[in-house]
Amino acid sequence: MTVRNIASICNMGTNASALEKDIGPEQFPINEHYFGLVNFGNTCYCNSVLQALYFCRPFRENVLAYKAQQKKKENLLTCLADLFHSIATQKKKVGVIPPKKFISRLRKENDLFDNYMQQDAHEFLNYLLNTIADILQEEKKQEKQNGKLKNGNMNEPAENNKPELTWVHEIFQGTLTNETRCLNCETVSSKDEDFLDLSVDVEQNTSITHCLRDFSNTETLCSEQKYYCETCCSKQEAQKRMRVKKLPMILALHLKRFKYMEQLHRYTKLSYRVVFPLELRLFNTSSDAVNLDRMYDLVAVVVHCGSGPNRGHYITIVKSHGFWLLFDDDIVEKIDAQAIEEFYGLTSDISKNSESGYILFYQSRE
Amino acid sequence: MATEGGGKEMNEIKTQFTTREGLYKLLPHSEYSRPNRVPFNSQGSNPVRVSFVNLNDQSGNGDRLCFNVGRELYFYIYKGVRKAADLSKPIDKRIYKGTQPTCHDFNHLTATAESVSLLVGFSAGQVQLIDPIKKETSKLFNEERLIDKSRVTCVKWVPGSESLFLVAHASGNMYLYNVEHTCGTTAPHYQLLKQGESFAVHTCKSKSTRNPLLKWTVGEGALNEFAFSPDGKFLACVSQDGFLRVFNFDSVELHGTMKSYFGGLLCVCWSPDGKYIVTGGEDDLVTVWSFVDCRVIARGHGHKSWVSVVAFDPYTTSVEESDPMEFSGSDEDFQDLLHFGRDRANSTQSRLSKRNSAESRPVSVTYRFGSVGQDTQLCLWDLTEDILFPHQPLSRARTHTNVMNATSPPAGSTGNSVTTPGNSAPPPLPRSNSLPHSTVSSAGSKSSVADGAIASGVSKFATLSLHDRKDRHHEKDHKRNHSMGHISSKSSDKLNLVTKTKTDPAKTLGTPLCPRMEDVPLLEPLICKKIAHERLTVLIFLEDCLVTACQEGFICTWGRPGKVVSFNP
Repeated sequence: MTVRNIASICNMGTNASALEKDIGPEQFPINEHYFGLVNFGNTCYCNSVLQALYFCRPFRENVLAYKAQQKKKENLLTCLADLFHSIATQKKKVGVIPPKKFISRLRKENDLFDNYMQQDAHEFLNYLLNTIADILQEEKKQEKQNGKLKNGNMNEPAENNKPELTWVHEIFQGTLTNETRCLNCETVSSKDEDFLDLSVDVEQNTSITHCLRDFSNTETLCSEQKYYCETCCSKQEAQKRMRVKKLPMILALHLKRFKYMEQLHRYTKLSYRVVFPLELRLFNTSSDAVNLDRMYDLVAVVVHCGSGPNRGHYITIVKSHGFWLLFDDDIVEKIDAQAIEEFYGLTSDISKNSESGYILFYQSRE
Repeated sequence: MATEGGGKEMNEIKTQFTTREGLYKLLPHSEYSRPNRVPFNSQGSNPVRVSFVNLNDQSGNGDRLCFNVGRELYFYIYKGVRKAADLSKPIDKRIYKGTQPTCHDFNHLTATAESVSLLVGFSAGQVQLIDPIKKETSKLFNEERLIDKSRVTCVKWVPGSESLFLVAHASGNMYLYNVEHTCGTTAPHYQLLKQGESFAVHTCKSKSTRNPLLKWTVGEGALNEFAFSPDGKFLACVSQDGFLRVFNFDSVELHGTMKSYFGGLLCVCWSPDGKYIVTGGEDDLVTVWSFVDCRVIARGHGHKSWVSVVAFDPYTTSVEESDPMEFSGSDEDFQDLLHFGRDRANSTQSRLSKRNSAESRPVSVTYRFGSVGQDTQLCLWDLTEDILFPHQPLSRARTHTNVMNATSPPAGSTGNSVTTPGNSAPPPLPRSNSLPHSTVSSAGSKSSVADGAIASGVSKFATLSLHDRKDRHHEKDHKRNHSMGHISSKSSDKLNLVTKTKTDPAKTLGTPLCPRMEDVPLLEPLICKKIAHERLTVLIFLEDCLVTACQEGFICTWGRPGKVVSFNP
């Protein structure tokens, strides 16, 4: 008779069959697999992000569709597709899989990850999404060129400068509009900027909604930060605000919990309590936003446990078929929705060591 | 980023603030907490809550307070703004094992200097009835957790009753208990009494009378809080699914619903006259909902995180002395006014002039409410005439009038109002007329709320002895015993309407259930102050002070303007 069912989280000994029992044979979703990922030496930053992405349904479906295409030369995406495919086609419903091929490919492709150090999960997410987008764009380009060669039509205008949108963009890409108003001539210039995720500053005892509002709040550029106004042809004081113009299908929010401390010459963790609701709408949209009504549902949270970016541990909680699961490398457990509040952060400023939400994945309802 | 400076400012905790009525001041000597005054390490524990009771003992020192911190429950003499708190001698203190107190409520009817009835809800689902004065053996309900295993989120005595109480759980269920009955040794069997799409009410099927008398299943996810209307006849419930649902408690009918902008709704309260409901939730907003029109009339943004408590300040709320009888009496005049314009409406002259004079003063109809949140901030809000009666200032008032006066809605009343469920239904009427107003005129606004609740509760007591009757005769019984009964027969179409409009919460945006942000006025807080280190969990308005509490277990008293002088530390 404990307050909440949190105890189950700490129960590291729970094995896979216990999870199956916990969910119940009747409730266990058909065609769904909950597999832990083996840790190959501080690869939880990778495991946690992979699990979160696996439970972003549009992403998973596209990766699996990619796997279904004809055999390609090995790259990071084919390795990811193989991994997802192997999870999705397991006979058992629960278990553990070593993402060995993916990890070694990752280490081969990027020096940053070619070691046994703890890495930043957000950096990895960024790298992964951009790499996949690059691979897909390159393939599209190749296809086009092949097509052109076949048709013998080489004289088409060189529109290849503008890379084509891939499904990674369709899923994660949104647009920010950056409005700057020169305080001298009042001219407003706006510049659109695409994003795959938003990095927001965090404050103690706030909500993600507030952090997003803050992200878009008007900021005055003055003294050293003056803005070069094209109309005035000089540096002027200006007001700047950034609002969301196109809302992505999956909104990935990165909480900037790691802050560089000048005096300490190292990063410290902000364990602030930042609450995040299961349901979210954006307030910080521009008036001409196309889909500003979107209602988002929280589908996954990458949680950082510990006190700094290069230490500690990453775990992920995901929502699947109406219930919540916690993925801690090779361990998978069902958790109570109520237990999510354990991952908001700490109200005490003294302790830096926390298990707190680091990357939130919200999926649009339509 | 300017977080450095901003952060410092954030950490500054305010000990006083000023509104138009004057200076509110924290009274450091009136701080209540655990006897050792050590901040409670609150991570992962249930919200600290505070309940007050007055023992009606003529001494002038009859106020008592109860609060829970972690697994402890304290009962103290509350000396308010007059004297420093004496923490060394709690009248009663209890420490629980295996289960934690989550909420509590005193029975104000039965409280005497010798005895009080305090209900305490627990994290494992049980409810205990204790008497912290007599310290007699207590009663335990849902002891075996056969009725509900989930956390108790809210427990309250049914207004006007000495024996009935209502308990809400994280499971999304509410149960009606009678202290005189046992809970049985087996899990209860239920029989459906009434059903709507988002709710169902069951009676307990049993040969002998037992608890629970009724089981309400409301919405999806936890039922976070409920509140009885000032006259005790309606029940407002807020749930984790983001819906406010207002029920007629006696007839078990859904009166109206509202959806949060997004996320769960965490708290709810009624205006002292029962006309408005305010909710707070995970969208960081407070939302004002008109009970009569069943629509959102304003939202308020000031909190930086979730809103945990909302409460009206009945002592600063000034619903113009213009007695409600005048409202109702001039109903037809209002119609004229609307159709023919102001100059022609001779008959409303007196009313108009009154209104004009009222406009020259900024406060004629002003409701004051407050909110506290997880952002550790206290916000105060004024709900003024321009929000309550926008554009056509009198038309809205008319809607009230019609509803209050007529037993069936006159055709004119629906003209300019939104087609929300229940809008055309007359349930509010007998109510708003009968009690708050009559009591106001006789007893003055200060005690009206409590008096009203007590007065109205008597009839309810009779109705609620449902267990004595055959279930299938309920509706009939209601009709016979209650003036409100006739409404229930109309209920079915009302419910259908609700069903249609509220299937998918995502599609409620832009409907009366959840208007777009730009379609309703956005209130700014009168004041917005950080007043604690930890998230705030309590806000109570008393006559000479307001009381706040935070998760660390500190209960703070803020003297109202002019009320602090007598206290000399």
